Amino acid sequence: MPSAKDLLRKFTELKTLPHVAIKVTQMVNDDRSTMQDFEEIIKLDPVLVTRLLRLVNSPYFGLSQKVESISKAVVFAGMKQLRNLVAVEALRGMFKGDDVDFSAQKLWLHSATVAILAGMIAKRIFGKDGEDVFLAGIIHDIGLIVENQLVPEKLREACKAFREGKGTLIECERNAIGTDHAEVGYLLTKEWGMPQEVLSAIKSHHQGKQVKSVSSASSILLLAEFMAGKMQYWPIVGPIEGLPPELTAHVKERVADYKIIIRDLPDEMAKAKELYESDE
Amino acid sequence: MTEPTFDAIFDDLIDVNEELQSFLRILDGLLPEASLLLVSEAGVLLDGSRSLAFAQPLREKLVQEARAADGFVVGKTENNVRCHAVYLAKLSAVLIISCAAAPDDAWGPGSALATLLQNTIDLAMHRQEREMLVADHEQSVRQINILQQQHGKLIEDNYRQYRLNQDREKEYARKLESEIAKQTAELREANVRLEEISRLKSDFLANMSHELRTPMNAIIGFSELLSETPLAEDQLDYTRTIAQSAASLLSLINDILDLAKIEAGKLELEHLPFDLAEVIGNVAAMFKIPAREKGVVFTCKIDSNVPKRNMGDSNRLRQVLINLVGNAMKFTEQGGIDIEVAYEREAAGRIVSRFSVRDSGIGIPADRVGAIFEKFTQADGSTTRKYGGTGLGLAICLQLVELMGGRLAVESEVGKGSTFYFVIPLEEAPAEIISLQEHKVIGRDKAAHGGRILLVEDNAVNQRLASILITREGYEVEVASDGAEALEHLRHQPFDLVLMDVQMPNMDGMEATRRIRKIEADPAQKQSYVGLRALTQPLGIVGLTAHARKEDETACYEAGMNGFLTKPIVKAKLSMILSERMPQVSCKETEDPS
Ligand SMILES: [Fe+2]
Ligand SMILES: [Fe+2]
Repeated sequence: MPSAKDLLRKFTELKTLPHVAIKVTQMVNDDRSTMQDFEEIIKLDPVLVTRLLRLVNSPYFGLSQKVESISKAVVFAGMKQLRNLVAVEALRGMFKGDDVDFSAQKLWLHSATVAILAGMIAKRIFGKDGEDVFLAGIIHDIGLIVENQLVPEKLREACKAFREGKGTLIECERNAIGTDHAEVGYLLTKEWGMPQEVLSAIKSHHQGKQVKSVSSASSILLLAEFMAGKMQYWPIVGPIEGLPPELTAHVKERVADYKIIIRDLPDEMAKAKELYESDE
Repeated sequence: MTEPTFDAIFDDLIDVNEELQSFLRILDGLLPEASLLLVSEAGVLLDGSRSLAFAQPLREKLVQEARAADGFVVGKTENNVRCHAVYLAKLSAVLIISCAAAPDDAWGPGSALATLLQNTIDLAMHRQEREMLVADHEQSVRQINILQQQHGKLIEDNYRQYRLNQDREKEYARKLESEIAKQTAELREANVRLEEISRLKSDFLANMSHELRTPMNAIIGFSELLSETPLAEDQLDYTRTIAQSAASLLSLINDILDLAKIEAGKLELEHLPFDLAEVIGNVAAMFKIPAREKGVVFTCKIDSNVPKRNMGDSNRLRQVLINLVGNAMKFTEQGGIDIEVAYEREAAGRIVSRFSVRDSGIGIPADRVGAIFEKFTQADGSTTRKYGGTGLGLAICLQLVELMGGRLAVESEVGKGSTFYFVIPLEEAPAEIISLQEHKVIGRDKAAHGGRILLVEDNAVNQRLASILITREGYEVEVASDGAEALEHLRHQPFDLVLMDVQMPNMDGMEATRRIRKIEADPAQKQSYVGLRALTQPLGIVGLTAHARKEDETACYEAGMNGFLTKPIVKAKLSMILSERMPQVSCKETEDPS
């Protein structure tokens, strides 16, 4: 049985995050990087430039003047938003393909929903900057993409077992593949130099028993994952894992808040679609 | 996809009656006197803080009545306590309320109590809605706070980046500065090295010229002397050949030195009056015999509008013309060679004149015209073999003409001949200078010879040659082979003039001259020198040097010499300088009796 690392080694040979995305992710973590450095990287990719300009010129930013230079756009968007833009752009292409047992397309929709919900919870309930959890959301199930590329039959075997109620998805994956998508995703994003909070959120997004703090990125990701699953934004047919008691108690306390989030989600998704969706 | 609801998502987590309970809590708070019971659609009973005891059939009957009715219906509890029930459509639940303080008849539709209760219920329900509004508001506040934080961070980021950029710029400027400083230092060093090399080259050339001229001095001098002795015809022929070869070798050496000087920017033209016709005449005289021998017609023509006497460097002008005519002669087998000086125009008080040398020689192919002015190049390789020459002449002429303010050019046609020409401005010489010069020449001719000369020279051959030349001029000569020996001679004998070689072993000419001048300045010392003590004026010292450079001449004057003669010693020059420098014995004697 291959280990997560064996799988990854093969994956990085096969397909890696574009240079631009890795570079931008690392630059966000580096205090000494300047907007000019970002500009240097971004301008190499015309698709990104277009998207960035569209982002800052969208009503979301509400700027009175049209921004036409890359450097200005970088300044207005901010580093993290820029990084997320690049990540969405880079990942989108990897989530392709659709069949009964496993649909990468549905997984993309799931990831986007989780990302948007996580961002909303972070901002609206905890008053935190939502960009990191957004990134965690968009990327949390990348492990499934790796498995789908390298061991598609085994992944389908795991999905089937999960559908038939033979355990959690993680357990079924471990039985069929030898590792699970949370572990694979964690190792891969670690290699890409994602922030620590994002890494641990990805690693624990199926481990409801280990809730430390309700406002942590991991908790927010668990909540978003649960809500998205309940909303049928779920790529793999099978039972949805329950929320850990700490988070249930939290939702009960903030019923009004969650009602509002659920009420506003369609609007936020439409907005995100406008900002991030490809032109295809 | 249908829009998901909160209940659908959190169905298994959240108590379905949560909303009812919260409503009951609020109402309970608003009506502290009343007992409350809420019956949900599913028949679940929710008690307020003060419970109402009901038997199930009684309660179910009351609930059904309330659902059907519009407004309050009256009922009784188990304990026979009167109570009222009302259907709350918004909550899909029936509220049963009992209040001991309120009289029965007060509950009728439209009654004050009923209205008050209805309002209270509405208030409780609004409170619940208000909770949502408050949450909504709080979320907005949080989001605004985040935006403010982000805005602050953006500003902070930009400021930080501004500082970073500034630091980078400073760093870059510093690096650039130090790089420039480094390169400047390197360049300066390289420049110093180059200057040193150039100085060494100059010194080398000066030394070479000394080394070459010293033996040439001897060869030319002795062949000249030899040709004046009685010789057989063939001996005379050999002697002349030696003299000619030596002369051409000397001219070659001079060419190379000239070129080196020009390239080093060290060649300076003299600015002295000269007779143009004389210069042309000299050149013509030089080529008269070779022309006749070759059967080539040689003519000279000077435009009468060109001034006769001009200021300038006649030697260099002559050199250019000799070169051009020499070339013409070399390449012309028949026909003629003409020198012509023509008036072109007057500009800024100068007469711009055109000097041309025309020949009917072999001509120069058009594609070689540019090359002939380059160093060491003739029209083609075979020319060198057939006609000889170094190829330096034209390059020198070109530069000399440029120094004179003109440009040397050629018009040529293969087989028909070439015309080399240059146009230079001539400055007419002022009249007084001319008369002074002429006067001097006349004066010199009248002078009678006689007197003692001390020749200081280390080279034995040169000693002999110079001695012979001096004796022939009619002077007595005494020889010293270095500066120290010269001083010894001056201690014991009087002299009218010293001819002082500059480069000598032991004590050189410069040092000897400085010592003599020092002795002259010190009356006590001067008394012990026979050769000096009688003199009222400084002793005449003429430097002899193979260094023909201007700075060598300057150095001689700086050391205290008052004359300068380049080696090889040419008879004419020697006789001129001797007649200038030697006291005019005969004149003085004739004036003496008075
Ligand atoms: Fe997952
Ligand atoms: Fe997921």
